[in-house]
Amino acid sequence: MPMMNAQQYEESLRKLNLKVYMFGKRVENPVDDPIIRPSMNAVAATYEFAHDPRYEDLMTATSHLTGKKINRFTHIHQSTEDLIKKSKMGRLLGSLTGCCFQRCVGMDAMNALSMTTYDIDRKYGTEYNRRFLKYLEFVQENDLTCDGAMTDPKGDRSKAPHQQTDPDMFMHVVEERPDGIVVRGAKCHQTGAVNSHEIIIMPTISMRAEDQDYAISFALPADAEGITYIMGRQSCDTRKLEGGKIDRGNQIYGGHEALVVFDDVFVPWERVFMYKEWDFAGQLVEQFASYHRQSYACKAGVGDVLIGATQCIAEYNGAQKASHVKDKIIEMNHLNETLFCGSLACAAEGHKEPSGTYFVSTLLANVCKQNVTRFPYEIARLSQDIAGGLMVTLPSEEDLRSPEVGKWVEKYFKANDAVSTEKRMRILRLIENITLGSAAVGYLTESMHGAGSPQAQRIMIARQVNLKEKQKVARRLCGIPEDE
Amino acid sequence: MSRKLRVGLKYCGGCRAQYDREGFVGRIRCALGDRIVFLPPDDPRLDFILAVMGCDSACADLSPYRNRRVRLIIITSEQQGEAFLDELKGDSR
Repeated sequence: MPMMNAQQYEESLRKLNLKVYMFGKRVENPVDDPIIRPSMNAVAATYEFAHDPRYEDLMTATSHLTGKKINRFTHIHQSTEDLIKKSKMGRLLGSLTGCCFQRCVGMDAMNALSMTTYDIDRKYGTEYNRRFLKYLEFVQENDLTCDGAMTDPKGDRSKAPHQQTDPDMFMHVVEERPDGIVVRGAKCHQTGAVNSHEIIIMPTISMRAEDQDYAISFALPADAEGITYIMGRQSCDTRKLEGGKIDRGNQIYGGHEALVVFDDVFVPWERVFMYKEWDFAGQLVEQFASYHRQSYACKAGVGDVLIGATQCIAEYNGAQKASHVKDKIIEMNHLNETLFCGSLACAAEGHKEPSGTYFVSTLLANVCKQNVTRFPYEIARLSQDIAGGLMVTLPSEEDLRSPEVGKWVEKYFKANDAVSTEKRMRILRLIENITLGSAAVGYLTESMHGAGSPQAQRIMIARQVNLKEKQKVARRLCGIPEDE
Repeated sequence: MSRKLRVGLKYCGGCRAQYDREGFVGRIRCALGDRIVFLPPDDPRLDFILAVMGCDSACADLSPYRNRRVRLIIITSEQQGEAFLDELKGDSR
C-alpha cells in the first residue's frame, strides 16, 4: 500500500494497541475520543490531500529507494526543489486545517537520520545507514506516520545527562542484549504521538564521552510493550465534550501533545540507528532542528486562516473600511509572508550532503524559526485588536440556542445587518481558538518553543554568520587600513 | 464539434493560489458541458494538457508531460484563464 487514504489511515490506527492516559484514566479508544479526534482528523488530511489532484503535486513525491509515488511526509529530499515543495506543503496544510497537522516531525527525523547514519558509518564502519534505509522503505511502503521524538525531560538544566540525580531525565540504555537494547526515559511535548504508527527517538542535546549511554537513536512501533502516553491538556479542551460545536472554533481539526514514557522498552538491533556514538549526537540534533525550523512554514498557513477570519470579523462588525483596520490587515499579511520567505529561502539555499540527502541552509532555517517565535504573536495581537473584546466575553452556543435568553444574544450581538449573529459568533470563536484556545498551543507556544526555543536559534545564528567579513568590508569602506 | 475534447488536468499544489483554481475549472465545465471531459494528465488519449497553476511561480512538476506529443497549456492567473476559456468557447462553437 504505497499511499493510504484518510479512511485507511484511520483503520490502521484502530489496529494499534496504544496505552493512552488522559484525565487520569486509560483511553481505550483514542481514535474516537472527542478530545483526540480532531487531531486525528488533521493527520488524516495529510493522507486525503495526497490523493486530491488539487494538492498532490505538493503532497506526493517519488521515492529514491523504490521509484514509487509516495506521500511527501515519508520522502527523503533529493533536490532543492524537494525542499521548496516541503515548505509549500507545510503552508498548504496549515492553510487548509488551521492547526498543527503533526506529521512533519517524523519527516524531519527521517531526513536527519538519513544523513547522520551515513556519516557515523563513514567514521566507524557501522551499518546504521543500511538499517535506516531498510526502515525507511518499510515506512514508505506502508505510508506510516512517525513521531520524531527528541525532547527529553532534561531534569536540572545545569547538569549533563550523566550528572542528573535521576538518570531517567534523558533517554538511556539500561541493558544490552545479543538481540537488542533495553531503554528507559521519556520524551516530552510529543506532537501527534497518539496519531502515529511509529516513534523515532533521537538524543536531545550534544553529548560528551561520559554521556555515551544517552547517545542513542532508534525507532519502535508506537504500541511497543512498555510505552505509555499521557495526553497534554490544552486551553478550552473540554469544549469538545459539549453538545454544540460553535464554541470549539475549529470544528474539524486540532492538534495534540503527549508525554511519552519508555519503561524498560526493548529495541531490536535492526531498529537502532545510533548507539553510544556520542560525538554524533550534536550533529543529529542540529540537522533535525534545522529541518524542523524550516517546517514552520505551516504557521504561515495557519496565519492565512487567522487573517481570513480577521477580515471576516472586520466585515461582520462593519469596520472593514476603517483605514487602521485595513492597515492592520496589511501588517498581518506582511508578517505572515515574511515567515514564509524564511522557510522558502532556507530551502532554496539548500545543498547536497555526502549521503545524497538535500539539507537546508542552517543559518536561514534558524532565521526563519526566530521570526516564527515572534510574528505569530503580533499577528494574533492584531487579530484580537480587530476582533474586539467580544471574542472573550461572548456567551456560549447554549445561550444562543436558549429559549429564554437566545433572543437577547441574537439581538444584542448583531452588528452588520447582512450577517447573522451566529455567523459572527462562529468567526469570533475561530479567532479565539487560534489565538488563545486549543489551537494557540500550535500557533503560539509551539511557535515559541517547538524545534527549539528562541535562544537556541540565536546561538546558531551567532555561530554561522561571518562577522569578520562584515567587519572587514566596513573597515575598507571607511578607510581603515587592514593592518590596524 | 464531433467528439468530446479530452483534456488532461494538472494542478499545482495550491499553497498560495492567487485565484480560485477549482472555480476556473468549474467555469470550463459549465461553459462546455458534455463537449469536454477532464482526464488525468498521464492519460494517453489527450487533446491537450491544462496545467492550472495558482501563481506565476508555476511550480508544478510538468517534466513527465513535456516530451509527450500533446499540447501543454499553462494557466497562472485568472486573466489568462478567462482568455483561454473564451478561446475554448470559440473553438467549440
